[in-house]
Amino acid sequence: MGKKAVVLLLIPALTLIAIFLIFPAIWVLKLGMTNETLTGIKAREPDFVGFQNLARIFSDRFFYNALKISLLFVFGSAVVGQAGLGMSLALITYRKSRRLKTLVQSIVILAWIIPEVVVAYLWIAFLDKDFGTLNVLLSWFGIRKINWFYEHPIFTIIIFNTWRGTAYSMLLFSAALETIPPSYLETADIIGTSPYRKLKDIILPNIKSYIFTDLILITLWTFNVFTPYLLTGGGPSFRTELLPIYIYRNAFKYFKIGYGSAISTVVLMINLLLAIFYITLSRRKKA
Amino acid sequence: MKKWICLLLVLAMTVFVIAEKITIIANAIKGGKNTQVVEWFERFLPDIAKELGVQVELIQTGIKDEDFKARIVLDIKGGGGADILWIDGFWVPEFVEAGYLRPIDDILESVPCWKYYYDSMKAMGSYKGKTYLVPASTDVRMIYYNKELFKKAGIPVPWQPKNWEDIIKTARIIKEKLPGVIPLQINAGTEMGEATTMQGFFMVLLGAGGNLYDWESGKWIVNSSALKDTLNFYKQIYVDEKLGDAELQVSPGAREKTFELFRQEKIAMYVEGTWMYTSVLNPNNASWGFPDRDVRIGWAAMPGRGKPGDPEFVSISGGTGFAVNPNTKNPKLVAEVLKRILYIEPQLTYFELKPFVSPRSDLADSCWTVNKDKFIAETSRALVKYTTFRPAFPVYPEISFQAQLLTERIVTKQMTVEQALKEFATEVTRIVGKENVIEKP
Repeated sequence: MGKKAVVLLLIPALTLIAIFLIFPAIWVLKLGMTNETLTGIKAREPDFVGFQNLARIFSDRFFYNALKISLLFVFGSAVVGQAGLGMSLALITYRKSRRLKTLVQSIVILAWIIPEVVVAYLWIAFLDKDFGTLNVLLSWFGIRKINWFYEHPIFTIIIFNTWRGTAYSMLLFSAALETIPPSYLETADIIGTSPYRKLKDIILPNIKSYIFTDLILITLWTFNVFTPYLLTGGGPSFRTELLPIYIYRNAFKYFKIGYGSAISTVVLMINLLLAIFYITLSRRKKA
Repeated sequence: MKKWICLLLVLAMTVFVIAEKITIIANAIKGGKNTQVVEWFERFLPDIAKELGVQVELIQTGIKDEDFKARIVLDIKGGGGADILWIDGFWVPEFVEAGYLRPIDDILESVPCWKYYYDSMKAMGSYKGKTYLVPASTDVRMIYYNKELFKKAGIPVPWQPKNWEDIIKTARIIKEKLPGVIPLQINAGTEMGEATTMQGFFMVLLGAGGNLYDWESGKWIVNSSALKDTLNFYKQIYVDEKLGDAELQVSPGAREKTFELFRQEKIAMYVEGTWMYTSVLNPNNASWGFPDRDVRIGWAAMPGRGKPGDPEFVSISGGTGFAVNPNTKNPKLVAEVLKRILYIEPQLTYFELKPFVSPRSDLADSCWTVNKDKFIAETSRALVKYTTFRPAFPVYPEISFQAQLLTERIVTKQMTVEQALKEFATEVTRIVGKENVIEKP
């Protein structure tokens, strides 16, 4: 295929990317430098304010609150939760009977494919203080009713998101494990290697690049996830206000579209930093 | 065959273009929030449609007021939206500044009943000399109480507190005698949005002789003893004596939850507006209505703090009304529809379904209907003389959010009264500028 053909074939994709990705990103940058609002006089005549919004973000206590919660959420639900649990499940079902594998995978994937709004209602029904299934179950054992959303808000959304997203990591790791030549592990079995040595010296080195791919993807996804809003609305009292919810609140609840765009820019930068961090890490390991 | 399909398509498109349609949007949904509004429209919209030979459609949305506002704003900014908007009066200034409302003075010239509207009500719907909103109803605020719970706790009814101390004493008795019942619901926190500022914060602040805005100097008040006492009142209720449920205030869907609890008779006193009685507790409300509302639920005027110079009783009024979308394609038709909505017959029907404090004299004088409603007659007589309005400037929603934060930080123990007030002063000053704030003794 000639160079020309390649360019021709790329044009449709590039056009789409330009229209739906690059242009909006530039638009957000531009909006972030204005004090545009959705109501009031600034909706009609916004002023260019340069980096004022950025300065304000870095002195806004709600920004640091959201950043802290987002980092906790990403670490808890993506790195430890989804990747950790996904890996454990993949290892547990690795080289086991097909039936067990299918059963476990079906259950985990079920959590992944239900629409978000339905999932949110299921979890509210599960965790409600007075009528929730969990508290009813606990009360059979004489445990007092716990207001999960109020007493352990971050923990609750971390568990929720782990449950919700483990399927992806599990599938990816399961597939990665299949790429290890069976002879490696069979040889190890014959010479009686301990499970820990097998994991450390055979399994992990062979699927390392998959682990990095998984971590990059789920970290970025989790950083931008909005579903906990359906559970907690960012509350109680901003204690589950992740960065995307913080953006939403400013832009669409308090109508500060310029300020909201500026925060989006900051979040975009954080995402880039995270991606660069992972990529350098994976490169260094390879070298 | 192809020919026929083409013809059909063309025909369908002509019908689509020719059939004129006027849409009305209201935050009401059948069987839920403001169900009476939907029932009312269903009664007479078909007649209007037939008379004018157009389609008139009601868009139902039973959502939080803040979300409803966002929907309307985005609709209009996007160049669309319903023709007639049933919105909250205090949104008018910020909407007008953004160019989201069409001045309706020309339409009102052809509306005969416009001359009957009270001036204070006309003021609510106008901004910088032009009219943008026809008030549909107004309201007053008070304390609702559950008479059965009061009787069980041995508190004599009818009940009328004379100062804050009376409310607290009553709440203490309920807490002691009726475990599991929340003595007092006075809205706090950002989750309830404007309902916190209006039904909760302002009702306390006014009672201490305070306000958020100083009408004399035209400046926003960032510190005063009234503000401090208001927060101390919240602290006493929610933190010191636990006479209200602080967790409830900040939990998702808090407002609906409090309605639910009031319905289950787990809240004894609730500070709210006319709307609570005529819509939420209305026997025809499937979710929260009391079949025996009129005997079971009592009301009392909200007293002032009780220090010399404080107001005896307080109330604050809001109101909703009809505005016109600037994107409307057919203002003349909108005028015709609006005119017919405001005819006295539909208005009286509306009153029967969902009684309200009337914004116009001809309706208020229709004693054969309006005075029949004991609740409206009594609350209007008792409270209209005390009532006041919000400082509905374009910047008001931002200040209001800061007021909600004040209450939230106190009831959730995040800050002390002094810390919260300091933060409030800083933020309000940042929003309106140093030259527009004032401190009061």
